[in-house]
Amino acid sequence: MTDGDRLTRPLTREPGKKSGDEGGPSAPDIRKPEGGNELLRRMKKIDPDQAKKYRQRSGE
Amino acid sequence: MRPILAGIETEYGLLVEGRGAEEQVDDAMALVRGYPGECHVGWDYRYESPRADLRGFKLNQLAFDPEDAKFDAGRTYGEAHEIRSDRVLPNGARFYNDHGHPEYATPECLSIFELATHDCAGQKVVHRAAQEFAKREGLTVKTYKNNTDFHGASYGTHEGYLVPREVGFERLYSNVLPMMVARQVLVGAGKVGSENSRSVPFQLSQRADFLSEKANAETLYRRPIFNTRDEPHADPTAWIRLHVICGDANMIPDATARKVGLIKLALALCEIDQAPTWQFRDAVRAFSDVSRDQTLQFRIELEHRSWTTAPEILESYFAAAEQCLDLDEEMQWVIDTSRALLIDLTGNFERFRRHVDWAAKKHILSQFVEEEGIQWVDPRLRAFDLEYHNVDPDESLHSALVQMDEVEPDPLDVDLLASLEGVNEPTRALARGLAISQFNKHLLGVCWRTLTFNVDGKPIEVDLPPNIEYPSQLREAQDVETFISMLRGVQ
Repeated sequence: MTDGDRLTRPLTREPGKKSGDEGGPSAPDIRKPEGGNELLRRMKKIDPDQAKKYRQRSGE
Repeated sequence: MRPILAGIETEYGLLVEGRGAEEQVDDAMALVRGYPGECHVGWDYRYESPRADLRGFKLNQLAFDPEDAKFDAGRTYGEAHEIRSDRVLPNGARFYNDHGHPEYATPECLSIFELATHDCAGQKVVHRAAQEFAKREGLTVKTYKNNTDFHGASYGTHEGYLVPREVGFERLYSNVLPMMVARQVLVGAGKVGSENSRSVPFQLSQRADFLSEKANAETLYRRPIFNTRDEPHADPTAWIRLHVICGDANMIPDATARKVGLIKLALALCEIDQAPTWQFRDAVRAFSDVSRDQTLQFRIELEHRSWTTAPEILESYFAAAEQCLDLDEEMQWVIDTSRALLIDLTGNFERFRRHVDWAAKKHILSQFVEEEGIQWVDPRLRAFDLEYHNVDPDESLHSALVQMDEVEPDPLDVDLLASLEGVNEPTRALARGLAISQFNKHLLGVCWRTLTFNVDGKPIEVDLPPNIEYPSQLREAQDVETFISMLRGVQ
């Protein structure tokens, strides 16, 4: 592992340990608990070729 | 400043399982005809004039897209009114088939926020009709509020603004065109890639690739930034309807309101001849350059070897408006929030993308590009771009962002449903809507400009001037004769 890898790899939190347990400041979690994965869930369901198949009549 | 009546007409993309663009006109007709809500069937086309030009002449015919025309080879569709399959709703909106696209034209509104709500309610109308169509046909039906198919076909989201005829073409063109070019920065819907010869990973505008001329009356081919169609939908000696075709379909209602508000600012300054003057070296190139600028500088080349930026142009309108106009709360909101967004564009992108479709879209796509280690030509990105605009709230990526509180919220469902039942403002849409909800059996013809009733076997046409206040007492009319009498009394 290079120093660069060490710097850019995201930190993994220990299971069960809540943010703030360490006593220092922490970034706020901007995603809502129930909705946090909704975007990802929908993106996973999308046909990767959906736009390739999408042909429309020219409109105004 | 004078309140400016405005409306938005959106052509929706339509994808039916197992069917192609060849069948799209038939499918759009069937979808519109199956709309399950209360409506009047039909439209009065007598006052339409799509070939008339603001510059004082009339085209022999409108241009058509030769590639698109191939889809019609060997097909017949019937009479124009059968193809259009018009429905008029109790809120005064028009829902119909336009060149294979279900189109929702909002009722005319005075408030930009009312208009944004009606524009959003249009998504509900299209989604309801699509669900019914899917149920009847046993097929998957998807509808999209966007403006491109990524294969070179575009369809529009047009804005209409009521402008006094005395302003004239020249002033209108020179005063509003710079705003049309500059506002993309704040209200573009965003698009992956390019649909003309100059490649780009991502751009602000869905429409920029399809704008090839500065000004003309075309809408299907050789599209201009400034459309000169002269179809006022009102007394032509008194009014122009500025027909803006260069804008995108916005999913964030906050952006819809700002999109309309920015043009209103330019129009209000134009009316008093106080709009800032900008002479572009090449307006079409400027529109494209702003759309494609990956540096977010948005430089625009001017005549005489000078240059400016889109944010500077926007600020010139804001400064002139604050100096010369008696601004109402809404217009002040447009200025204040636009200025704040221009600061956030480079200073706080997380806040910027809450309000701006291209930025919200680019953020999720950029994350995907980074996490997957892919290039911007990866086909999944265009699929995600398309699905950002899906009208189904259970599938749309935009709706997911709303759920996650990552973008500004949609109007409340209760307000959207109410806006389909009628209008809150004292506009002529109130009269049109009431005619449909109360006296539909008497209606012979409906259009933006007039209502024609059958009273005792005789046709009676009532003009709906766009600039008067229609009283809420119209709701109390018990019979069609009283309604007509009250309508004539307010003129």
